[in-house]
Amino acid sequence: MDCLDRYREIVPDYEAFRAIQYLPLYNSARINTLKITREKLLERLEEEGVLFQSFHWYPLGLKLDIESPGKLLENLLGYIHIQEELSMVPPLVLGPEPGESVLDLCASPGSKTTQISQMMENRGLLIANEPSLARIAPLRSNCERLGALNVAVTRYDGRNFPRGPFDRVLVDAPCSSEGRERRGPGVLSRCSPERSQDLQVLQIGLLKNALRLTKPGGVVVYSTCTYAPEENELVVQAALGEAEEFRLEKVCIPGLLECPGITEWNGQRLNDDLSCTARYYPHINDTGGFYVAKIIKN
Amino acid sequence: MSPRSSRIRNIFEPLDPSLIAKLWQDRFGIPEQAFAGCKFFRKARSIWAISDADLPRLSFETIGMRIMSCKDRPWKPTTSALQIFGRYAAKNLIHLDREEAMIFLEGGSQVIESDCEIGYVVVFYRGDVLGCGLYSHGKLVSQIPKERRMASTVESEACPD
Repeated sequence: MDCLDRYREIVPDYEAFRAIQYLPLYNSARINTLKITREKLLERLEEEGVLFQSFHWYPLGLKLDIESPGKLLENLLGYIHIQEELSMVPPLVLGPEPGESVLDLCASPGSKTTQISQMMENRGLLIANEPSLARIAPLRSNCERLGALNVAVTRYDGRNFPRGPFDRVLVDAPCSSEGRERRGPGVLSRCSPERSQDLQVLQIGLLKNALRLTKPGGVVVYSTCTYAPEENELVVQAALGEAEEFRLEKVCIPGLLECPGITEWNGQRLNDDLSCTARYYPHINDTGGFYVAKIIKN
Repeated sequence: MSPRSSRIRNIFEPLDPSLIAKLWQDRFGIPEQAFAGCKFFRKARSIWAISDADLPRLSFETIGMRIMSCKDRPWKPTTSALQIFGRYAAKNLIHLDREEAMIFLEGGSQVIESDCEIGYVVVFYRGDVLGCGLYSHGKLVSQIPKERRMASTVESEACPD
């Protein structure tokens, strides 16, 4: 876990942040309103004696007190989707509407894709892009199980995705996944500043292309499940550059505590507006870790 | 990826919606309105349905949901499609009890009494569409794809869609 040491200065209550890494994350799921209403789903779980608790910040999110939620009939029938709590944040920040044209640039396995599809009420067009052939199968399988009818899958390198424009683009970028340690212990042993630096090149390329593909007035959300500033604020700063056509909008989900994006790292002063972006730490909301930035194209 | 080879693989040909609706009407009595707002495409031997929207000029891996396979005769509905459109079915449907539903969800075959015609049927349990079954000579064979089955040790002859 030594790779976390370099965050001592930026993470509030650093000792608690370290300690919670050893605590496994509870199981959680999202109610799929494309197939069932919240009321009916909760009724079913109660009938079956499944213990659950709704997220206080998102009524469609549930903490499930059950060992293998994937085996629930409700999951097999696509009434729920097993999804980590904070993974439900980026689609909410993106805010897709029915009938819009939306691009999910790094889509597999499709948790956020299908959440976007349900927010669009299966109307409009959602392009789910995934460059890796091996990762197309789980993406397709989740879309079909959850009854997403407005999703078309493409397989471009996201940096060269050719054609827009879209009302909204989500870049849930490949990252070092430090924020997933509670879900899959051992993740941190593969993390290093060098690895983050390598990923940054790809991440900047993805975000720059997403900005290009967005309509004027459109929204781009950039998210990762890592703490590394090289993969977060530094990516956003590099992709936006000096261009005046973009502005950062404050990321805030009522009921969920975020920390502002950092504006200084390793002695380097960053753009002050990066404080509008959000860092979610595991010890603050008892979750995993995430970073989310919302960019508006003027 | 090679755009040339990809384009050859990914030819989605638009289809007349009334043609598809008629097939579902004939087999399951599902009214045409159930598919209102959908466009249909054919690629190789599969038919796909997507919500009506303008598709940009891109090379697609999939367009919406794969709803039927025309590889063999008769055509076969996918479990995913039946879970969406199957609730409007008026014929060729089977309701299972709990024990039967578990066998079906595990991918098994079982003897079921029904007046369904031979062929693919919509399988229900307590108002939920579980998926596609093949009914023939008093036997119901689950067509639930492997990754969507309940875990079980039972090996089945079922052919997933």
